[in-house]
Amino acid sequence: MAIRIEKTFEVQQPVALVWSFLSDPRKVVTCVPGARITEQVDERNYKGSISVKVGPSVTDYNGEVQIVRSDPQNYEIEMLGKGLDIRGRGSASMKMSGKLKALDEGRTEVTSVSELNVVGILAQMGARVITEVSNIMFGEFTKNLEKRLAAPPDPPDKATEAASKALNAGSLAWEAAKGIFRRES
Amino acid sequence: MIEKTSPEVGGMGHSIKRKEDSRFIQGKGNYVDDVRLPGMVYGHMVRSPYAHARLKSINTEKAKQLPGVLAIITGEDLARAGLAWMPTLFFDKQMVLATGKVLFQSQEVAFVVAEDQYTAADAAELVEVEYEELPVLVDPHKATAPDAPILREDRDQKSNHIFHWEVGDKSATEKAFQSAPVKASVHAVSPRCHPAPLETCGCVADFNKATEKLTVYLTSQAPHAHRTLFALVGGIPEQNIRVVSPDIGGGFGNKVPIYPGYVCAVVASLTLGVPVKWIETRSENLQSTGFARDYHMTAEIAADQSGKVKALRVKTLADHGAFNAAAQPTKFPAGLFSVCTGSYDFPSAFVEVDGVYTNKAPGGIAYRCSFRITEAVYLIERSMDVLASQLKIDPAELRRRNFIQPQQFPYKTPLGWTYDSGQYEGALNKALDMIGYQQLRKEQEERRKKGELMGIGISSFTEAVGAGPAHTFDIAGIKMFDSAEIRIHPTGKAICRMGTKSQGQGHETTYAQIVAQELGIPASDVVVEEGDTDTAPYGLGTYASRSTPTSGAATAVAARKIRDKAKKIAAHLLECSEADLEWQTGKFFVKGSPSKAKTIQEIAFAAYTNIPAGLEAGLEAVDYYDPPNLTFPFGTYICVLDIDKGTGEVKVRRFVAVDDCGNVINPMIVEGQIHGGLTEGFAIAFMQLIDYDESGNVQGGSFMDYLIPTAVETPHWETGSTCTPSPHHPFGAKGVGESPNVGSPAAFVNAVVDALSHLGVEHIDMPITPWKVWNVLKEKGVVN
Repeated sequence: MAIRIEKTFEVQQPVALVWSFLSDPRKVVTCVPGARITEQVDERNYKGSISVKVGPSVTDYNGEVQIVRSDPQNYEIEMLGKGLDIRGRGSASMKMSGKLKALDEGRTEVTSVSELNVVGILAQMGARVITEVSNIMFGEFTKNLEKRLAAPPDPPDKATEAASKALNAGSLAWEAAKGIFRRES
Repeated sequence: MIEKTSPEVGGMGHSIKRKEDSRFIQGKGNYVDDVRLPGMVYGHMVRSPYAHARLKSINTEKAKQLPGVLAIITGEDLARAGLAWMPTLFFDKQMVLATGKVLFQSQEVAFVVAEDQYTAADAAELVEVEYEELPVLVDPHKATAPDAPILREDRDQKSNHIFHWEVGDKSATEKAFQSAPVKASVHAVSPRCHPAPLETCGCVADFNKATEKLTVYLTSQAPHAHRTLFALVGGIPEQNIRVVSPDIGGGFGNKVPIYPGYVCAVVASLTLGVPVKWIETRSENLQSTGFARDYHMTAEIAADQSGKVKALRVKTLADHGAFNAAAQPTKFPAGLFSVCTGSYDFPSAFVEVDGVYTNKAPGGIAYRCSFRITEAVYLIERSMDVLASQLKIDPAELRRRNFIQPQQFPYKTPLGWTYDSGQYEGALNKALDMIGYQQLRKEQEERRKKGELMGIGISSFTEAVGAGPAHTFDIAGIKMFDSAEIRIHPTGKAICRMGTKSQGQGHETTYAQIVAQELGIPASDVVVEEGDTDTAPYGLGTYASRSTPTSGAATAVAARKIRDKAKKIAAHLLECSEADLEWQTGKFFVKGSPSKAKTIQEIAFAAYTNIPAGLEAGLEAVDYYDPPNLTFPFGTYICVLDIDKGTGEVKVRRFVAVDDCGNVINPMIVEGQIHGGLTEGFAIAFMQLIDYDESGNVQGGSFMDYLIPTAVETPHWETGSTCTPSPHHPFGAKGVGESPNVGSPAAFVNAVVDALSHLGVEHIDMPITPWKVWNVLKEKGVVN
């Protein structure tokens, strides 16, 4: 199941600060619900995990994140993430490219294009559920990002723990359902 | 017509209540999952999340350590016993548990056995399987492309092409097309759907090490055939195998094949020496067991300006999934698809079918139809509407101009079938009258002026049911006769044992009514038993609407054998010659003196107490009936519907079904069958699809996505009948269970297309969801 998600949002922080945050997978992950980095292999490669709950189904992926391209001059980055369901029920991969643009009053526009491919039991939920879940996760991510950028730096462990709690099963399924009805109404 | 018995006897034509229902409505049915044996343990299947992947390793250590786990069987384990693969019912083989690679999502990879089903399910999650993903082939149209991945490495032929089959006169058809002034064509997909019986598949395998006897309680539509296949494939002596099909909660063709879970449960029981139960979940049933249809068809009709058809040309691509597990007679790789000339007098026809493999669940089973007849009927009935629309001839009139006429029967079709009997125009006229066709057409015209969308769809189908005859039909080589054994007890009551197996069709009632009709023993005094291979006579089971045409016929023939012997006993009792006796329901009497009579009950008692010299004791008979031909039920269905322009929702306003299945055993049961089949046809037309995304993920693998109509969605059905008996069946019956499923999809789709035809819509593929209709309306500028 291939899904393409394009998002553009604004952050009330200057571009250099946003770049320093978003170009570091260890920091990015603190904003992704259910995700954590477990090991840094080298400058560009990391190992990590993510837990996604959709209704009664929990999928834990173990995998790798690779920075494919990083261009600090133009504030562009490309990352590739791949994960295997730890219970052997499938896999997921995501190619994400991000671009920052400095706006006036010290604000930054973030544009990202993600291509998500899910194979396995989770993918049986269908694109309409997966897309909604992705949207919700993205919403959480931007909220967390704003908070993290505004706040003084936390000790990394605490931050990771707080952010890595998987989204609540019931609420995520409900949010996804609401999303579907919103879109089709 | 059949002479009617008294209601007390309850012979043919009486709507007596179904005997089996008293236990069903009290929740006292006994299904496979109700079987609980001492010491029984449970199996659970580990399945592939990938549609196409190489199996790199399977680690069962963690799972084995879970308390309560007894065994874990993998493909490698089965390979050591030569059981990693099993034959399908159609010249192919299928993996029982995967070795080497997996070929569809949810394919069976390992079988976990534990003390309870929850432990088994938990342990299945602990089995670690390492896969290497391979390119996935989902679209059958790309199966033979040069860059397509080759799915079946086990085959010598390194191609995804399975078979090419053609039938008919190619050159005559081509010639007719060259000279025909009118040509109409349609590309129609009969999409992948699933029978989704209420009860999923499952079994309890019980191997007794002391007696070396294997008993398998099985959700089987064909218990005897399955016993023989277990013997042939598993090497267990057939006398040591007993297959028991208890109550079955719907089959619809889904319970004809043998599934890997059955084999694994048997292997586990042989290994552990205890009974092993395996019951599918709903998703397992939808994702891995026999699907139906997936035929991608193009039909062309050659005709003259008056709409008289000259030739039919059909080209079809059949998607069989990962293994060709179609359940159909071995002479027919595309089943009875070649009945696609339908109810019409085509001088010539030519049909080609190509089968291909894809990374989807295996199957191609006959979902409530005789082997691809639903596809065939849908195609021809859709095509006739396309021709009618092209020529601007009313679709009812076009059909009337082309029907095979009553005097043409027995009618040989250009594709080789011989139809037994038919009165097609009679059924059409009755349906048109019932629905008030002319008035509806006027109403449609007026509504169109107001911008409203109303459609009327007709389907004048011909079914072909009741396989054998044995010279043409078989399942895995076993000929398709069927059987009945009747024993009359001394007190005049009876037991019948059959080679068929009811899955809800009401056999316990209808076979008893045949005995009542033939022997005058009240149906309430006749017990019918099926499904136990240790007691029932050999038979091929129930599917293809074959029970009445085969075992029903056998019941009548066996009863007539009993009546012949009863006559001898009556002559002995009445001290007259057999020639002086006459039969009247339930008794023999001396011609001219009706008071000198012996009832069948008195005769039965004498068969055990006062036996004439030279005659065997007892009163029983068995018959193995090989029908001389199929039977060909038919009918006309008409659907009237309205489309909501705002939402694209289709609302069926009225649906009239006129069926002709020859002489009827129980009108109430026939009506119930028609209601059920129409509801399934409605679901196929509007709601159901087993879809796959480009990675081979099943979309439609649970009841969240694969929709089952409830009373809320289901339209009100209006039924009617005509009666054209089969000339070759012992009591003129034809079989009916499948007609509504076979005949109705075209009526629904024709009605939708009719509602939109003035907008230039020529065809819409099933399932016709509101989303699809709304998009068509958008495209045509009806909505923004």
